[in-house]
Amino acid sequence: MAEAEAEWELCKENIQPLRGGRAMSALKEALTLQEEGGSAITQRQQAFETELRMYDGDDPLDVWDRYIKWTEQTFPQGGKESHFSVLLESAVKKFTEENKYYNDARYIDLWIKFADHCQEPLDIYRYMQAQGIGLMSSAFYIAWSEEYEKRGNFRNADSTFQEGLNCGAKPQDRLKQFHKALQARVTRQVMSGMGQESGVVDAMEMDMEEPNRKTLVELKALGKEKAVAPISRGSSITTHQPRRLQMKAPMAPLRNSRLMVFDENKKVAEPQDPKLESWMGPPSARAKENEQKPVKWTKAKLPKKTHAGLPVVIPAPAKPTFQPFVEECEQPPAVTPCKINPSMNSVLSARKPHREETPLKRVQDWQAQHQAAGAQAPGADSKPREQSMYCKELLFNGATEFCIEELRAMRYHQKHAQRLVASSSSSNSSPGDESAGASAASESCRAGPSSSGSSH
Amino acid sequence: MSLFGTNAGFGTGGTSVFGSTTTDTHNPMKDVEVTSPPDDSISCLAFSPPTLPGNFLIGGSWANDVRCWEVQDNGQTVPKAQQMHTGPVLDVCWSDDGSKVFTASCDKTAKMWDLNSNQAMQIAQHDGPIKSIHWIKAPNYSCIMTASWDKTLKFWDTRSPNPMMSLQMPERAYCADVVYPMAVIATAERGLLVYQLENQPSEFRRIDSPLKHQHRCVAIFKDKQNKPTGFALGSIEGRVAIHYINPPNPAKDNFTFKCHRSNGTNTATPQDIYAVNAIAFHPVHGTLATVGSDGRFSFWDKDARTKLKTSEQLDQPITACCFNNNGNICAYSSSYDWSKGHEYYNPQKKNYIFLRNAAEELKPRNKKW
Repeated sequence: MAEAEAEWELCKENIQPLRGGRAMSALKEALTLQEEGGSAITQRQQAFETELRMYDGDDPLDVWDRYIKWTEQTFPQGGKESHFSVLLESAVKKFTEENKYYNDARYIDLWIKFADHCQEPLDIYRYMQAQGIGLMSSAFYIAWSEEYEKRGNFRNADSTFQEGLNCGAKPQDRLKQFHKALQARVTRQVMSGMGQESGVVDAMEMDMEEPNRKTLVELKALGKEKAVAPISRGSSITTHQPRRLQMKAPMAPLRNSRLMVFDENKKVAEPQDPKLESWMGPPSARAKENEQKPVKWTKAKLPKKTHAGLPVVIPAPAKPTFQPFVEECEQPPAVTPCKINPSMNSVLSARKPHREETPLKRVQDWQAQHQAAGAQAPGADSKPREQSMYCKELLFNGATEFCIEELRAMRYHQKHAQRLVASSSSSNSSPGDESAGASAASESCRAGPSSSGSSH
Repeated sequence: MSLFGTNAGFGTGGTSVFGSTTTDTHNPMKDVEVTSPPDDSISCLAFSPPTLPGNFLIGGSWANDVRCWEVQDNGQTVPKAQQMHTGPVLDVCWSDDGSKVFTASCDKTAKMWDLNSNQAMQIAQHDGPIKSIHWIKAPNYSCIMTASWDKTLKFWDTRSPNPMMSLQMPERAYCADVVYPMAVIATAERGLLVYQLENQPSEFRRIDSPLKHQHRCVAIFKDKQNKPTGFALGSIEGRVAIHYINPPNPAKDNFTFKCHRSNGTNTATPQDIYAVNAIAFHPVHGTLATVGSDGRFSFWDKDARTKLKTSEQLDQPITACCFNNNGNICAYSSSYDWSKGHEYYNPQKKNYIFLRNAAEELKPRNKKW
């Protein structure tokens, strides 16, 4: 046991923390499994994928819930093979229509995990509120106010708890307990703040007095050519400093802020969205690193070369050295303006315009589409609609796609297993057979198309 | 006399050229019906190579069986033999001398069927169902290539239980084709791998998929010097891409075309898009046939970029097609392809294999040679 513990200690920085903490046994198992090689894990994944598509009962959320929980425990480092964010997004999207799950603790838990994965969790929580998801659950309000607290917005954190209490969220004791804890933290801060000499003065000024270079701010332009670091990280970090007292001026727009912090108290006329919710258009959820448009690096120009006897046209690059932040509404996209001779390179063809996609936007769009389809809105789409004549939902239900033959093979295996059970139970009639048979059937159906014997 | 056990042997007969009644749309093209078709969906068809005199057709099905028919010159089909697997058969192929047939199945094995002795023995084993099997005849070696859902590509000398070579793929194989020295495998997540088979198989290139939807079928085509030069790739949403490996002008030479869709001109109703189930190239003319979930087959000329013919709609999807070695016969199968899931499956519905004269209809638009 000591060695297993030592092993965990060695790679603990690679283990992503979970909200609810990790079970030590599951963690150890996951780490040993990963060392041995991925096949046991892949088999289990396949089993889950099969179950997702074959499930016939009343509670499909159960399969998703178990799958996601297992993924979380088995992939402590996260990573692409876990398909975790894909799964989360699919699960969340799939049940947006199912009102019965709106106050199901498992579903709300999925949403909270989803929000954690997005860049702007606050938007997710607001969306949930607008849709009526989780309004009766204290976990929802607790998670939401935690987000506010992280950003130093104690007033909103407090009011979120109030809202929860007003709505009568259950369990109430838990809500009150967390509320009290928040209030305690706030008062402690105020007290410690009062104790210091500089008091509640904006702490930025404190740094100004020191002759050293400021930490975490914009880098000054260096050199003759005023080269600037392409991504300015300074501002976004300073806006998120925790424990920074902003009780005095919570609504003041932050300096150097490239993010427009949504303020619900301001009466902002929502420009777009004639659709369902009262707001739309959150900033991107996944970090898009190189958002800046390409610019000239140096003044040097390449001499015009000829290639295969044809002249190459090098276009002039974009003019501005920085792009002022524009909120992404219906912004026309980055169509590459190059006029590269197509005979040379078919890779760089003009990209078709596409909307900036964020997970939340995808969920909203999906829901909007479904509602439109349900309402049978004629002429809602300008382009002629196309209908795929195959069972799309079944094929693409999980994290990975299936082909039609895989689906059929799954069904074949399940039937085959049932036939085996039927023939074996008819030959011997012990009562314990039913459960043994059923589990054998489900085992072989879970074995699905790829594994010969699942290990679990 | 039926050699196929339970099935209605005499049945609808290969001689019924006058076909069925007008209300029955199971054979609207009035093609020749193969006698004693399998009892479940036909997954694959293959005609014998030119080394074997006459025409023999092999068909594998989801009823776990592989059947062999002799197709006589007068159009009559005679059932010859049958072999079983313990799982649905997904692919079949012939050896180059026409003495052996190789079958790949969901039971994770592949078998070699010696037609002379009518014995079948297992020659390959995978960790998952084998989706595709091909015979490779190289100057310095011969082997079987199997591509499976266990994400591996294995090469087998039929005399040894262990593979000669095993290559790892990024995803599950969905379809493959081999024309020496080129092999193309299309995988899940729209992957496309090209292998070169000279000396020994090795990965040649990974290609970005020209299609936006799941890959379903692939077929290699040859140039005028009879060398493989590119492939046609079909997707699950009514589109086929023609892709050359080393074209002089990729942007102009490679293209995709829509197929197996309904309501073409009528924009008021949504267009139904069907899966392309199989593609086959005519061995002489170089034109291609595609068959789809919509129950139609179409012939195309990829050089002239035109459609040559589209059939009437059959009442079931068409699941497989192939040409015989001289291109006179096109065989296609009509059975449920599971495109809409298990709810639309009717085990009582009969499955058919049809034979059509392909000599004239697949002539290219502008005769170049």
